[in-house]
Amino acid sequence: MKSRGFKRRLSVGFAVFGALIGIKVVEYFFGTRIHSGAWPYLVVLAFAGAWLILSYFMHIGQLGESGSKDHDNG
Amino acid sequence: MTMVRDVGERARRLAINRLGLWLFFLSESFLFSALLVTRFYLQGVSRPTELNQPLGFAISFVLILSSLTAYRAETAIAHGAETMFRRNILYTILLGILFLAGVGLEWSEGFRLFPPSHGFGTIFFTLTGFHAFHVFTGILALAVLLMPRQKGRFTPDNHWGVEAIVKYWHFVDVVWVFIFPALYLVS
Repeated sequence: MKSRGFKRRLSVGFAVFGALIGIKVVEYFFGTRIHSGAWPYLVVLAFAGAWLILSYFMHIGQLGESGSKDHDNG
Repeated sequence: MTMVRDVGERARRLAINRLGLWLFFLSESFLFSALLVTRFYLQGVSRPTELNQPLGFAISFVLILSSLTAYRAETAIAHGAETMFRRNILYTILLGILFLAGVGLEWSEGFRLFPPSHGFGTIFFTLTGFHAFHVFTGILALAVLLMPRQKGRFTPDNHWGVEAIVKYWHFVDVVWVFIFPALYLVS
């Protein structure tokens, strides 16, 4: 039987995936429909996507920990 | 007392491993940053109109989906669900191969429309080539996790090997998050 923590982490993964796809769709809209001056928006969106991956998929926050929480960081 | 010392030592080792891995990512990001800067230095924000944007979007979707399966694999092994872990690693590998096939298709069009001898072609093939090589090495590393002798090796308390390879896979995704708009969308 799956624990609540396990299910919560899986749902976080789906939420981040949805947000990343949303960002890509908006990026694509800017890139294909707006033919000049879209680059500042694209830069902001790219950094937002990278932040989501670094924070939730790569757990960059673990770097500030001693390692005592071991592998179960959500 | 000895057990407490062992747990402390393991935690310290894990923290050092993670720091080393992140320093590796930092050094890699310098390489890709330099290539991205080169793109704007040589070509400004111009790009060929023939560039296949829908294909670029499709392979972006595939790579992001592979990050989700990699995340699910790591989460599974952290909770002792080995079958789910192996299944998701396999999905990640297959999605990685699909991504490389997409890049191959884009290259076959690119050689005809903007060959490497042209300004944009040089940047396009260098950036996507370096990135595709990283995807390829990531696939090899993920495949090692699926080898029969690795079965049962990783536990919820000890799966640094999985964590490192999955993090590397996510890093490759982060790099693509910048490459896609820089090559396909900026104009």
